[in-house]
Amino acid sequence: MKNYLQLVNFEFNRIAKLFTVLLGITFVAQMIGVVVQSRSYLNMANEKMYKEMMPQAEFLENFGQMSFLQIARSSWFFGPIALCIAGVAFYIFFIWYRDWIGKNTFIYRLLMLPTSRLNIFFAKITTILIMTFGFVAVQLIIIPIEMLVMKAMVPDEFRLDMGVVEVLTTMPELTLIYPSSIMQFIFHYGLGLLAVSILFTGILFERSFKWKGIFAGLLYGGIAVIVLILPLLLHEFVLNSYFYPIELFVLEIVMGLIVFAASIWVSGFLLKNKVTV
Amino acid sequence: MRKYWKFMSILVVIILSIGTFYVKSVTSEANHPEFVIDTQSGDAKEIEPLKLVGYYSDTSSMDYTSTDVKISSEGSTYERRSFLDQIIGEPPAVIKEYQEKYRSFMRGKGLNVNSFFENNQFLAYADVDYKTDSFHSHDFKFPISILNKEDASVQSFTVDIPDSENMDYAYMEDLQIIEDELYIITNNMIRNPEGSFDEKHVYTIDLANQTLSNDDTFSQVPEGQEGNHIVAQVIRTSPTEANDHMILLQKEIKVIHDPESYREEVVKQEVISYNLATKEKESISVSDLPFNSELSFFDGSTIYFIGIEGQEIFVTPYHLADGQAGEEYRLQLSGEDGHGSAPMTTIKDGKLYLSGQQLTPKLNINAADVIVADVETGDILFKGQITLDDPKAKNQYELYLHEMLVE
Amino acid sequence: MIEVKGVEKRYGLKKILKGVSFTANKGEITCLIGINGVGKTTILKAIMALTPFQKGQILIDGKPIDKHSFEKITFIPDSLTMLPNMTINEAMEFMKDFYTCWNQKRANELLGFFRLDPSNRISSLSKGNTAKVNLLLGLALDVDYVLMDEPFSGIDLFSREEIANVFTSHLIENRGVIITTHEIGDIEHLLDKVVLLDDGLVTKEFSAEEAREKEGKSVIDVMREVYQK
Repeated sequence: MKNYLQLVNFEFNRIAKLFTVLLGITFVAQMIGVVVQSRSYLNMANEKMYKEMMPQAEFLENFGQMSFLQIARSSWFFGPIALCIAGVAFYIFFIWYRDWIGKNTFIYRLLMLPTSRLNIFFAKITTILIMTFGFVAVQLIIIPIEMLVMKAMVPDEFRLDMGVVEVLTTMPELTLIYPSSIMQFIFHYGLGLLAVSILFTGILFERSFKWKGIFAGLLYGGIAVIVLILPLLLHEFVLNSYFYPIELFVLEIVMGLIVFAASIWVSGFLLKNKVTV
Repeated sequence: MRKYWKFMSILVVIILSIGTFYVKSVTSEANHPEFVIDTQSGDAKEIEPLKLVGYYSDTSSMDYTSTDVKISSEGSTYERRSFLDQIIGEPPAVIKEYQEKYRSFMRGKGLNVNSFFENNQFLAYADVDYKTDSFHSHDFKFPISILNKEDASVQSFTVDIPDSENMDYAYMEDLQIIEDELYIITNNMIRNPEGSFDEKHVYTIDLANQTLSNDDTFSQVPEGQEGNHIVAQVIRTSPTEANDHMILLQKEIKVIHDPESYREEVVKQEVISYNLATKEKESISVSDLPFNSELSFFDGSTIYFIGIEGQEIFVTPYHLADGQAGEEYRLQLSGEDGHGSAPMTTIKDGKLYLSGQQLTPKLNINAADVIVADVETGDILFKGQITLDDPKAKNQYELYLHEMLVE
Repeated sequence: MIEVKGVEKRYGLKKILKGVSFTANKGEITCLIGINGVGKTTILKAIMALTPFQKGQILIDGKPIDKHSFEKITFIPDSLTMLPNMTINEAMEFMKDFYTCWNQKRANELLGFFRLDPSNRISSLSKGNTAKVNLLLGLALDVDYVLMDEPFSGIDLFSREEIANVFTSHLIENRGVIITTHEIGDIEHLLDKVVLLDDGLVTKEFSAEEAREKEGKSVIDVMREVYQK
């Protein structure tokens, strides 16, 4: 346990820089987005009200108040989120391969630590999880700050104030990242964790058997997906919709746990017996 | 400890930030307005068994998400649909009740209310099952299951549907048990070289032998000549009550081509009563029956022809036993003509329940009447309106109701 | 004692090791000699479970390797396996965190011996100093066995001397050492035991001392005999 925590800390420190840089980009780009969107709304209001002499009430009737959603729908806001997602996706692979590449192959050291090699697997998957949650959490903190900036720029009567929760649950694109209930949050990220564990196993297959390992990894991924959706397939094509939806849901969760356990077991086996430096 | 600070601080940030978000999202649900059914006349007790189901959305922002709401005599309750409901979906209330009561029998059964029949002794289920490939449908079958409530025994069998070579598809209209026979009423889509048309069939299943004893074409609706066509509609009944008659409303529709458009006109309307056991068909002559009586209801002994004209609901009872039509009566709806859709209606225990479906103050749609009337005479027992409890509340909202339950 | 018994390893279709067997004792320096590509490094990796092998068995003090073995045996690869952006201090701290057998006193002694500045970043070190840090991180562990892969290759003369001096010091005493090399000139006098490898097989395993005393032959003489046959 102690070794696991030390490894997690160590792995996290290794990405801390990349993580901070991505957060910085997110903050700056979204701030620019706030300013740009607020300005363009205000410019439009000025144009209509002072050049075209449209009364304020009519302007509001036609164009509506400005809400944070206008900012949240812009690519200034979404771009950096996409970048962070891409960053995590990339790091899922790089977190392993970085230990093999270069002159100072760190994987020697990791594999020779007097601790179960599975701890390396757990530490790396935990780091991915923390990185992901880190982005999710910090974004939640950045939004209120952005709202304050918008508040400062747009006068009260032109502004529709919304809460963070309201903004995030309103946008379908964001409900994947911020599901509306905690249960769903666990479900979404649990599924993500499962996917990462399958990818990790695939990577370890490749690291153990090289070219043949890529096929083994793909095969493993394919089998994992089939096992995962097996209850759905059986339900639909063999059992004549035998299960109640709730039963199917529970079965799917059990299948997910089985696949997760299998990924851990196979990864442990590969790390212990098959991996090569 | 010093070298753990980055890790520790991000953990703290994660827990606090995401934790706060979900605590807030749970507590921020309380700000939906309270809807009540405001009594205008009559006895408020009459609406106690009534439950209206729909959704509410706040239109003041560009937020178009909606929340499920239930309105009853006690006010409104909001339900954010739970995660499980969202991915699993909710069956209709009747089916849900069956599933709770007869869990193992209901396993693998569809969610179509028309596929079920219930009386004191049986809960029966039948559906149309068929295979489709790219060119045609084949292997039409009825999977049938009957639960005997007394000894909890289940009879399950499958019957092939005869003469199904030219069928494109078929769906359940109704299911009935009378004596030892099961009646499966379906609408079949038949394909022929000239085109396709609907047929309504009554399949009689002998429960003792588990075989099909009769296939009667209850109504055949071929393409009419010269642009006329015929539409048949089985008049709705309560899904939980047995009826030995089926009532069919058949309309011949003429399509009139104007230079730039076309419109439809009903040229003939016929009401047919069909006795399931004897297969006797009888035409019912109802004089002056308006053509737009789509809301009609049959409770087993009386047909209530219900239609809407402008802001008036008209009801004509017709007693099957003595062939006598009762007095037509009309119920006035509030609101402007043409705003909002037709109200929901249902009949239970001799009472007609009616409710508007939409409340959108911004568009001046105010179809929010709730009326309970004696279905025979039209005497109003309760009349009210769905309104906001707090009259000062903002009017930027939309309320849609889509289901009416009388318990 | 490290026992390597009939180890066979393939890379694809190519057999790298064709049944290698030898033993290395505690308190002795055993040298694996062979030309490049003969499988010396692979044998060390196999001992440390860093690469799988298809047949045979490797025992350390009679037991197969497991996670506890890494407190008893360590491997110093031919390049330093620490993150380049760490300082020597941080690298030592990392070792201290994970190994209970880390001996900071010995590490400090080695720092002095090699005249290294612990606040230096690993990426900024010269080749010779990198090799010394590599050696330091391995030797400061209180382990019974040390495996070294080509500790002298590509290092300047003076560093090489300094490293060679380590072998005669108390830092090595009482430990079992396996080193690989393809040129034994510098260290011939240090070796207790020599294992000659050719084409994936052990061609001769002999005690250097015995060869010297009984037959009056140096290690190089024996090698010449074997390879020129």
